[in-house]
Amino acid sequence: MADILDILDIEHPGATEISRDSIIHGDKIKKKYVTAKAVKRPEGMHREVFALLYNDSNKDLPPLLPTDTGKAYKQTKAKLGMRKARKWVWAPFSNPARKDNAVFYHWKRASDETKEYPFAQFNKQVSIPSYTESEYNQYLKSEDWSQAETDHLMDMCQRFDLRFIVIHDRWDRAAFRDRSIEDLKERYYGICASLSKVKTNPWSNTVTTVNGEKRIYHYDAEHERKRKEQLRRLFDRTQEQIDEEQMLLTELKKIEARKRERERKTQDLQKLISRADSGNVPTVNPVPNNTEGTHTPSNATTNIARRHDRKLHKKKLSTQQRPVRTMEAVTVEWSGIKFPEARSTGVWLRSQRMKLPPGVGQRKTKAIEQELRQMNIDIAPTPTEAICKHFNELRSDLALALDLKNALVACEFDLQALRHQYEALNPGKTLTIPASICNATDGETKPMGEIIDVVGSPSALNSTI
Amino acid sequence: MSLPTDFGPDSGGRVKGLVIVKPIVYGNVARYFGKKREEDGHTHQWTVYVKPYANEDMSAYIKKVHFKLHESYANPNRIVTKPPYELTETGWGEFEIVIKIYFHDPNERPVTLYHILKLFQTPVTEGAPPIVGRALVSESYEEVVFQEPTQLMQHLLNSVKPITNGPWNHDTDFEEKKEKTLEKIIAAQSKVRNEISELKEKLHLAKETIAKFKEEIAKIQNNTASNVLAGV
Repeated sequence: MADILDILDIEHPGATEISRDSIIHGDKIKKKYVTAKAVKRPEGMHREVFALLYNDSNKDLPPLLPTDTGKAYKQTKAKLGMRKARKWVWAPFSNPARKDNAVFYHWKRASDETKEYPFAQFNKQVSIPSYTESEYNQYLKSEDWSQAETDHLMDMCQRFDLRFIVIHDRWDRAAFRDRSIEDLKERYYGICASLSKVKTNPWSNTVTTVNGEKRIYHYDAEHERKRKEQLRRLFDRTQEQIDEEQMLLTELKKIEARKRERERKTQDLQKLISRADSGNVPTVNPVPNNTEGTHTPSNATTNIARRHDRKLHKKKLSTQQRPVRTMEAVTVEWSGIKFPEARSTGVWLRSQRMKLPPGVGQRKTKAIEQELRQMNIDIAPTPTEAICKHFNELRSDLALALDLKNALVACEFDLQALRHQYEALNPGKTLTIPASICNATDGETKPMGEIIDVVGSPSALNSTI
Repeated sequence: MSLPTDFGPDSGGRVKGLVIVKPIVYGNVARYFGKKREEDGHTHQWTVYVKPYANEDMSAYIKKVHFKLHESYANPNRIVTKPPYELTETGWGEFEIVIKIYFHDPNERPVTLYHILKLFQTPVTEGAPPIVGRALVSESYEEVVFQEPTQLMQHLLNSVKPITNGPWNHDTDFEEKKEKTLEKIIAAQSKVRNEISELKEKLHLAKETIAKFKEEIAKIQNNTASNVLAGV
């Protein structure tokens, strides 16, 4: 970090702080300060070593920050108030929330003598709806709740200010059935709602008027019960269950990562195909065909024509073998390796033309050489023009073949994954992967550097249906 | 060698569209002493060389050949200005010799060849002592391509004379080697191309099958979705 700062010529302390001052002229001020303080590097000492020595001590310095606050703390004399001190008195007070008229004493300002006890405002009272017997019979009758029990509930609500936990705790279990908190709340809010429909009592906490329209608080007991049950279950999990869940989550992550990987590969394949499709310019073997001593333009054109011919032939072949509707998709033409164009002028050695371009990766180069060895072909053959051309074409084709093989393996894997998905969705049935595709993974043509994950697809081998 | 002067100092520019190819052979022969030499421990005498593939005198266009030997040799940089472009030494080990060919026209950059000096027969058969007297040959074929040479260079390249009146032969039959190599490569090419079109077919089939499978799965998913809805 210090090195970067040095290179950029930025001083360390407070260099990143920005304020109005620093923007206007902070830069100059800071630099002056630092250069005055800085210890000079001894002759011959490397900058890096010097930075190690003196950087640490610099860190201990408090950062020098320009401030925006003006001269507030720099004035020598404090400005003291000119007004008279107000008087405090030891005075009695009583709390209106108390019923027993107890009187206590405390200090208060003489000027506040007449004011009421300020904390009295926090003594809030809940207004609980009330009902007459006829009202109860008319609106509030319930099969589950007797009137006595309802009365008991309303009484408790009043006494404990709707603290349902306390109400539940103090519930008279001798006289009435044991009720859950949700039952109690449901009954209470149900009563509030029914009464607010028929009466116009201002029970402010349950009925609010919005835009002149009554809004009733609706208590969803079922939802509450479910919520608590859910929390309880979450809390009651055993360590094993937690571990299992963790394990499953990591598995899911792995599966998704693999899926992404496959999608990426499919995209690569798509690119390969589209690149090859659009490549009506022959991309392969840009081996100069003008290297013959007597080069004529007609020579080149025949060459291109011949190549074109071959391509057409290839296309014809594939269309013969497959029905018409396959036309649009896979007509992979040559991608392979692009060998660099011949230099325009000068002397060069033929064998230089056979060097693989640096864009071809190490792995691919190794794979190609391996294939060549299998076919018993020298990896550095005698460099004549014809051999050079064909050798480069051959290696380009080999590269393409390797790409295609890898693509095919990816496809096969996709197929197996899809089949599993299908089997999971539709138990007892399966899909048939055409046998010819599976050949790609035969031992002999096993693609280089491609590890096939067969762990996830055990039934791949017995595709009989 | 007197240079023609009518091309001027910049050798008259380059000849458009002209390509001249000069095949050469480079390598070494080695001969085993039959024993380790007492005074310096050397075991072989070898000769590294660059010679024309065709019967022609390369000195018409080659100014000098620079052989760079292993640094343990006294003056490892040896320069040969006249044919035969070869260098004979003794030694006990194999190493890479850098051969740099300079041309008469300074506008043509020198070309560099790399040759691994070979002294020992591979594979070394154990027990069997190295054959004494008979020379071991390790040589390679190369083509020097003059693409759009300068006019001076063109003149030089075209004014070569035969180097000998007798037959001009090489230890290695490069013609046969070329022919066989080309045959092999072309055979391999057609094989690989067949393989490629097969692979393409398969790939196509695979793509189609994937699409089909996806369709099936989508169908089932739709079914189950509607079933669930019906159940609700």
